[in-house]
Amino acid sequence: MIGRCLVSMGLVAAVGAAPTTPRTPDGRPDLQGFWTNASITPLERPRELGAKEFYTEEEAAEYRKKALVPLSTAERGGTEAHYEFTQFGLDRSQAQIAFSLRTSMIVGPEGRVPSLTPEAQQRNAERAARNKGHEFDGPENRTIQERCIVWGNEGPPMLPPGYNSFLQIVQTKDYVMILQEMIHDARIIPVDGSPHAPAGVRRWLGDSRGRWEGDTLVVDTTNFTDQTNFRGSRENLHVVERFTRVDEQTIRYEFTVDDPGTWTKPWSAELPLVKDKGPIYEYACHEANYGFANNLRGARAKEKADEAKTEKKDPK
Amino acid sequence: MLNRVVILLAGAAVLLAAAPAPAHHAFSSEFDVEKPLRLHGVVTVMEWVNPHSWIHIDVKGDGGTVNWMVEGGSPNQLLRLGFTKNALLPGMEIVVTGYQAKDGTNKAVGRDLTFADGRHLFLSESAAGTPK
Repeated sequence: MIGRCLVSMGLVAAVGAAPTTPRTPDGRPDLQGFWTNASITPLERPRELGAKEFYTEEEAAEYRKKALVPLSTAERGGTEAHYEFTQFGLDRSQAQIAFSLRTSMIVGPEGRVPSLTPEAQQRNAERAARNKGHEFDGPENRTIQERCIVWGNEGPPMLPPGYNSFLQIVQTKDYVMILQEMIHDARIIPVDGSPHAPAGVRRWLGDSRGRWEGDTLVVDTTNFTDQTNFRGSRENLHVVERFTRVDEQTIRYEFTVDDPGTWTKPWSAELPLVKDKGPIYEYACHEANYGFANNLRGARAKEKADEAKTEKKDPK
Repeated sequence: MLNRVVILLAGAAVLLAAAPAPAHHAFSSEFDVEKPLRLHGVVTVMEWVNPHSWIHIDVKGDGGTVNWMVEGGSPNQLLRLGFTKNALLPGMEIVVTGYQAKDGTNKAVGRDLTFADGRHLFLSESAAGTPK
């Protein structure tokens, strides 16, 4: 039975690690282990909360009570032919949650993703028009998530994937490795003062380089591909993540993202990573991705049915 | 010939944290909400595979026995709920309600799975005890 991880993140002072922070032999804060970022905190603040950045403890308790009730797909407004989330442990009532008093992961009085630039709006509209009606033409038309390439929230920045929300950190003097269960990639981050890869080298998860600022690990990521799409961003996305171990059970994970071609200004968010007993399991996405072929076969069957209807209606 | 277009990463499915847990793929194109079904059969194989588990069952009907494949949840999460390879073995009798695949083959999504006596297959104690 999964135990709930009732960690109440108070207003942790924005300073370095606590005096009792576990440390590696070379004296750095020890970030190693299994962590969960499962969350009931939305990325963007509900508009009715205005500039209210934190709940009180009482408000947070009430919010948790409402958010963690198991609801069926239909009750959650889902309309797809889907199994019940509660049947398979996929709803949040059965997950370990990294709680926070924040009303949104995005920090600051606005608490929302800034407006898209006119350039980004045009780019998105063109892409949507280009893809419309061709979503199931072939394998390359499907999302990279369905194709088992990169999970939507894999990042960086790393956001809760929705289920199987676990990650593992392994640390040496010169490298930090972050393995997210969803979807399968290990981020191997040099922390040795080396520069970013040359501009021509592009990666799905970008090129990450780390450095220590006091007791905080700072990871700078550039060199994304032109197919990288974090909320509409493109290859010039620049991500700065900050990992601070604030206590035995918690890493404060902060990030700032910027892409002048996408957003009118940079924006920042914060969420806790809470210690988990582990292990994380292999998510060999291509192992048996039957659903992918089923999707395409379903589309071909629909085309045939539509053709038959047309011929019947308009015989030649 | 269909015009093939490369969709520039519609991984746009960046999911809000408070939203329900996402599916790995588009269910509406794989399964047909117009074809609901109820299958009563005997397990032949339980595939503990990613990204979704699949349960194979033999269903007896007027025309003989037909083998169906039923899609279930993430095996990683089932394991976390305490289910193991021995939780569902060949020969066990189960009832599946769900929807048939759009391609018309004997595949279905298992929306609700119970043993013959009505007990839920995978539902954890906490979820089972919560009124809906």
